[in-house]
Amino acid sequence: MFPTNHKTIFVLDHTPYFGISSDNPIDFDVSKSRGPGYVPLPPVCKSLWTCSVEAAVEYCRIVWDLFPEGKLVRFVVSDSSAHILNTWALTQQNLTHILNGLCLVGPVRRGAGGDVVGLCAAIEGLAEPSPTQSTRPPSERHFQNRGRIICITSARDDDSIRSLAEIALNTLVQQNKKAATPQPPTTTDASTTTQNLVVHYCHLVIINVTPEKADTRVNNQQLTEMGGGLMGVEVIVCRASALASLLGRLVLPHYRLAITTVTGIPMKEEQNASSSANYDVEIIHSAEAHAGLRATQTAQEATESVVLRWWTPRGAEGGAGGCSGPLWRVTPADVASRPSACLVNFLLNGRSVTLEMPRKGGGRSASHVLAAQGGELWIGALGGRTPYDDPPALSEGAGGRVTDYRIKEFGALMQQNKLHPLRGAGANARSRARLQRLTTYWPLTISSTLIFNLGSVMEPLTRLVVQESLTEDEVDTCRGVLLSLLGMESRHEFPAAQLPSNLRGKSSGRREEQWRQVWGELEALIRAHSGSPAHRALLRTLIECRSHNNHGAEGDSSRATVIRATTDSPLSPVGAGNGNGNNDVWAPRNVLDALLGAPRPPRRPDFAGRMAAGNRVATLYPHLQQDVETPH
Amino acid sequence: MPTVILLDVSLSMSRPVPTTDIENHTRFTLATAAINTFLDYLCVHAKLEYVSLVTFSSVYEVAVPFTREFDNIRVKLPQLEEGDKTCIETALHGVNQIILNEWGYQTPVQIILVTDGSSGVGAIGRNRIIQALPLPPTYPGKIHVLPVVSPHDSSLQHAMPLYQKIVDLASNTTNNSNANLMRGAIYCPDQLNIPGVIAAMTRLCEQHYQEFWCTLKCGQLETRVQLFPAPQPASHEGLSASYTLSNQLHVIGFLQQQDLGTPIALSKHLVIPQAQVGSNSATRENYGSKTPTKEGSSTEGTTTEDDMSDPSKIPNFCVLLHGALKVEGMSAIVQLGSEWWGTLSAWCEVSRARRSCLLLSILRPGASAAPWLGPLDQLGPSEENSTSTDSFPVRSWRSYSGGGSGCAWARPHALLADVQKVLRHARKLPDKTQHLYKELNRLRRAAISLGFAELLTCVGSALERECTTLPTNAPPECALQLAHAAAALRDPRTAFDIKHTLQPLATNFTVTSMSH
Repeated sequence: MFPTNHKTIFVLDHTPYFGISSDNPIDFDVSKSRGPGYVPLPPVCKSLWTCSVEAAVEYCRIVWDLFPEGKLVRFVVSDSSAHILNTWALTQQNLTHILNGLCLVGPVRRGAGGDVVGLCAAIEGLAEPSPTQSTRPPSERHFQNRGRIICITSARDDDSIRSLAEIALNTLVQQNKKAATPQPPTTTDASTTTQNLVVHYCHLVIINVTPEKADTRVNNQQLTEMGGGLMGVEVIVCRASALASLLGRLVLPHYRLAITTVTGIPMKEEQNASSSANYDVEIIHSAEAHAGLRATQTAQEATESVVLRWWTPRGAEGGAGGCSGPLWRVTPADVASRPSACLVNFLLNGRSVTLEMPRKGGGRSASHVLAAQGGELWIGALGGRTPYDDPPALSEGAGGRVTDYRIKEFGALMQQNKLHPLRGAGANARSRARLQRLTTYWPLTISSTLIFNLGSVMEPLTRLVVQESLTEDEVDTCRGVLLSLLGMESRHEFPAAQLPSNLRGKSSGRREEQWRQVWGELEALIRAHSGSPAHRALLRTLIECRSHNNHGAEGDSSRATVIRATTDSPLSPVGAGNGNGNNDVWAPRNVLDALLGAPRPPRRPDFAGRMAAGNRVATLYPHLQQDVETPH
Repeated sequence: MPTVILLDVSLSMSRPVPTTDIENHTRFTLATAAINTFLDYLCVHAKLEYVSLVTFSSVYEVAVPFTREFDNIRVKLPQLEEGDKTCIETALHGVNQIILNEWGYQTPVQIILVTDGSSGVGAIGRNRIIQALPLPPTYPGKIHVLPVVSPHDSSLQHAMPLYQKIVDLASNTTNNSNANLMRGAIYCPDQLNIPGVIAAMTRLCEQHYQEFWCTLKCGQLETRVQLFPAPQPASHEGLSASYTLSNQLHVIGFLQQQDLGTPIALSKHLVIPQAQVGSNSATRENYGSKTPTKEGSSTEGTTTEDDMSDPSKIPNFCVLLHGALKVEGMSAIVQLGSEWWGTLSAWCEVSRARRSCLLLSILRPGASAAPWLGPLDQLGPSEENSTSTDSFPVRSWRSYSGGGSGCAWARPHALLADVQKVLRHARKLPDKTQHLYKELNRLRRAAISLGFAELLTCVGSALERECTTLPTNAPPECALQLAHAAAALRDPRTAFDIKHTLQPLATNFTVTSMSH
């Protein structure tokens, strides 16, 4: 866990020596002389400082382009003191922050100082936990706090380099000792103080920079372990002018990256738009994207750079969708070059391109795809069979021969439950809760429902009732629907008469049956949503309607079982017009209803007539007849 | 995972097995029995698995290429010819080639090595083989070893280090793109007879060829589904924890296919609906019970009995979901576990456009598997009353131009291009005055962050030179602006102050000169 490249710290030497010229002149007068009297400009040399800054910044650009998170880089500028340009915080992990910091540091000034103070600050920096590290307990089994320090400096000889490394090691050992001892109780109570971590491994890369012609007595040194594997030291001697290409090379193994040369990209010239010339562009990406090529290569071939040929896209191609495996981010090796910019723009405009492996024997084989998604560039590997090819037909599997799924309606539900990028926690949970609500009563097939097929007759109700809450007006609209249904039923109309003609034949059955199904489904639907008082009011209306036509009394045992969970949950507010409570008053519950129903506090003494009647139907106004008769 | 059965057909495999039975068995016939057991198991549990039979002795041969027709392998087994000596490293070389050619390097593969428990060489030879093993392979995979040998055989003790090394190295894949697989193992039979090898093979099957069942839930709609190939737990260096798929996949919501794009997937799996055996009655209750009369259910009873006998006639949510995803051109986002998401889409092979199926892409764990969707944990429903929601893609701030400018100056051509740009504007004054100062400030900013004072001096001189070469009919403002800019670049008080911005010379000189 936490590989070495999780944390990298650049230590840049900002001592007066780095103010000297790199002795690598750049001539600005490349264009031919413009006639007599045109005094050529003197060529310009960058200072060692400029060389090291631009090289380090370019290294960072590659890292942050390819790994927007998880690979952190910090900068420490070292002169008489250590200037720390950024922390591990994600907001400070970008080029703008670093460049602003460098502006403030300014050019090299006179004065004392050295690289040691910066190096020590960098080692302290490694001990500070990164944001991801601080989310996990350091006691975890695989917790490894490793990091890399790239120190760009200039030393007199091998001895000074050695002593620099030894100072680094000593600092590291001392610091680990401190971090390993438990913090005194006075500080542990303050939860804000971050406990420094033990550094398990530090890869120290010392780059010794010299001007073009200066001699140096520092020699390259292969990676050497120090302190029993606590630190690995590597020394690289480099001319200032070659520093950028050195770091551009080093970034590859540090982050397991590889370069692909895309060759033969046809581009139109501005001056000569009728013809096109072919260009090459180098792109950097994870080395894993080459795994497929490497797999079939010999060791000799594998050391060569990968050249893939541009395969001019034909019409609408699949883009990255054709890759069955992962995708990797891509960044151009040379952002400033014109061909790079052209390729980047081509991709960002939504085109994708296939790359092919040039073959000696002819024949083409697509090997990779380049495409942009969300404003970033990606590469994916093609080829290989997938273990899921030739899938079994859905029509032969479970549910495959059912032909009347409510696909259109489910499509509408999907449109209703489209996801959007929100901010803040709980978005997923809200979306799930909403799906939960909208699918509470959701028949899968057309033949298993009547109410959802009735269209205009039912329309505002089925749409409104699934809302979380209803306004007074909406409840009234729904009531209107119920009453019009009641009217239809009393006029002995067939509900199926409202169905589209192609469905009418399917819902056969007697009229009473159809109406029973309509009312039953309606009750299930409304009960499923009876979370709010308005819904419960609607439910009461519905039950009134049903009982009016004496459907409620038929007491269908299976009807309520599924739905009850939502309405009779103990969380339902008591007294907020409990639907079943009303049902009690209007119609007796059957035995199963009574058994399954949650016990409720009695709200009022039961109707005396029913108490007297016991299990029989209670007679209303038993004395009425008597009363009428007596005066006579 | 596709499987290669790597069967030893060396001469030593035809040694008879000491037995009290009347039947005469050789190690080879025992191996055949074990392979048939394996195929029987697949027929029941993993019909979609691709299996190939490769035989080896000192050379290797593809006896049956990858197929789902397991009978082809069964038929082939008795027809195999004996070879000469066991030569495992050659065989593994060959298998690597076969797998790479067929499956590429991204598909995890299993190899079952069925051999006779003797390495065929002495201790030195064995160690030499261990050195020469073409492992780890470049594709993710694991190797199981099934030695057809009595557990007390001394040759097995001798060959064991070799087998162990093969199993260990095979899991130690160099390919990091796929999740770490469960390791392979050695399955020794308890005794050298038919039941012994069958038991060993059954153990292997049960540990490594488990089908994966889970429940796909969308709100209250749900169905049991099988995922094929069985998903592997995801864990590799880049991840701080190991992720195992939960047995409930929750649909969170839906996205248009073009918004979704192609997120970074670890693996893809067919989603195959299972007949609702147990929950059948519950389903009926949910949807059928709305015909509340007894007559109603009894009339329906006849059809449901019919349905019960044929699972393909019972409505299944999976089929509905597939149809709707296809019609709407949408994909579903599915929660696979904590901090882990996947996508469900209708998918069909290009070559068989009509045979479409539901495909689950398992994304890289973590909320950033599709950066253009924003953090996946923050995908949510649009509020019913608010209309102003962000839309896809969530643009990254990536510019691919090196964070403005300056960082690319390590390459001289980039620096030259930027300086030339300034000079081009300088030659087109006064029209390009604003452009000149904009570019100058850009250049200054980059030069200041790089501590590149030399550049500013140089550009200052270049501007002065432009001033001297101005044509005689040039408006006087040109010379003034050039001189002003050159001086500003070299002013020790302001040139290196990042807060200072160079402004064009504020003058109404042009106006006055014109009017006179």
